[in-house]
Amino acid sequence: MSCPALDEPGFHACCQLLLQQSEQLGDGWSWLELGGGPGEEGSEVGYLKKTVLRSVAVDSNPVQTQEASGSETEQTSILQPEAQDTGEPASLNADDLNDYIKDEDAVCTAVDINSQVLQYEYHILYSCSYSTPVLYFRAFTMEGRSLTLQEVWSSIHPNYRLCLQNSPLTTITQQEHPLLGQPFFMLHPCKTEEFMRPLLQASHDQPRPVNYVLSWLSVVGPVVGLDIPLKYCTLLHPASSLSSAEPD
Amino acid sequence: MSDNAESPTETQKEEPQLPSDDSTTNEEKKKIDVLLKAVGDTPIMKTKKWAVDRGRTVQSLAQFISRFLKLDASEQLFIYVNQSFAPSPDQDVGVLFDCFGSDGKLILHYCKSQAWG
Repeated sequence: MSCPALDEPGFHACCQLLLQQSEQLGDGWSWLELGGGPGEEGSEVGYLKKTVLRSVAVDSNPVQTQEASGSETEQTSILQPEAQDTGEPASLNADDLNDYIKDEDAVCTAVDINSQVLQYEYHILYSCSYSTPVLYFRAFTMEGRSLTLQEVWSSIHPNYRLCLQNSPLTTITQQEHPLLGQPFFMLHPCKTEEFMRPLLQASHDQPRPVNYVLSWLSVVGPVVGLDIPLKYCTLLHPASSLSSAEPD
Repeated sequence: MSDNAESPTETQKEEPQLPSDDSTTNEEKKKIDVLLKAVGDTPIMKTKKWAVDRGRTVQSLAQFISRFLKLDASEQLFIYVNQSFAPSPDQDVGVLFDCFGSDGKLILHYCKSQAWG
């Protein structure tokens, strides 16, 4: 498949669909456009934007917390560092799985947590280099101080923290926003095509419209603390349209 | 004939259940049938059909599958409903069943990816 799965007009179309749904759901996305300069008529570039207020536990040393738990070499403990509080060895044995799964309900209990209200701003732009959407975001305290990368880590879903830390190329990095020229954090898009490809392939095999941007967002959103309500999916595909005879 | 909340499907062996969680409520302990389908070159689980507590989260299920498939720590497992949408990791599978279940089961597609590295 050499042609990109998502070109810029496709991105626009997907965004408009998402926008309509967002309006129905009151989810708060808006579309902004920056016009091209003189001689660049018709080259307006648009992006989706959403602002969210959230109360987060801002761990002053999120990296250390993760490293401490990451020192346990068991694969299962890496996926669920919180379980280490019990002192039980992680194991893949079926019996231990029972105990292990009980422990997973311990939500983040990192030390030195301060809770504060933060304003998060999320932007979805189109990346011409990767032919995919790309997520930019930044966060401020209520006093207007922008958050550092270290502080932002604490809002990353624990599910993803260690994986992201281990991957220098595809972690969250600080970048200049391509349109606004201001510093934002960006979730690098280089692997987007890789996790979108099987999804798109599957949708090819069964005629089912897939909103690339929505599917992509549902995957990357939770990584950066952005919740994508399930209703986006139920609005698009009411239960009555599901085919019940899936061949096994 | 089964008169409890377990899966009505008779298979050669008893249908495997994900272990229950003592802290879940009775409502959450009710089980739903989940059919797991691999996407792309993700390994296929030998056992595809599971009875899962309604209260179990997507994240918990993803971790279970990852452990079952013995994935590396660097490999992220994604779960999709409707083959198109990744539900939030904190979403209860019971809710997914209510929205997307058909024929008494919830079909979830899963895919492993080196998405972050």
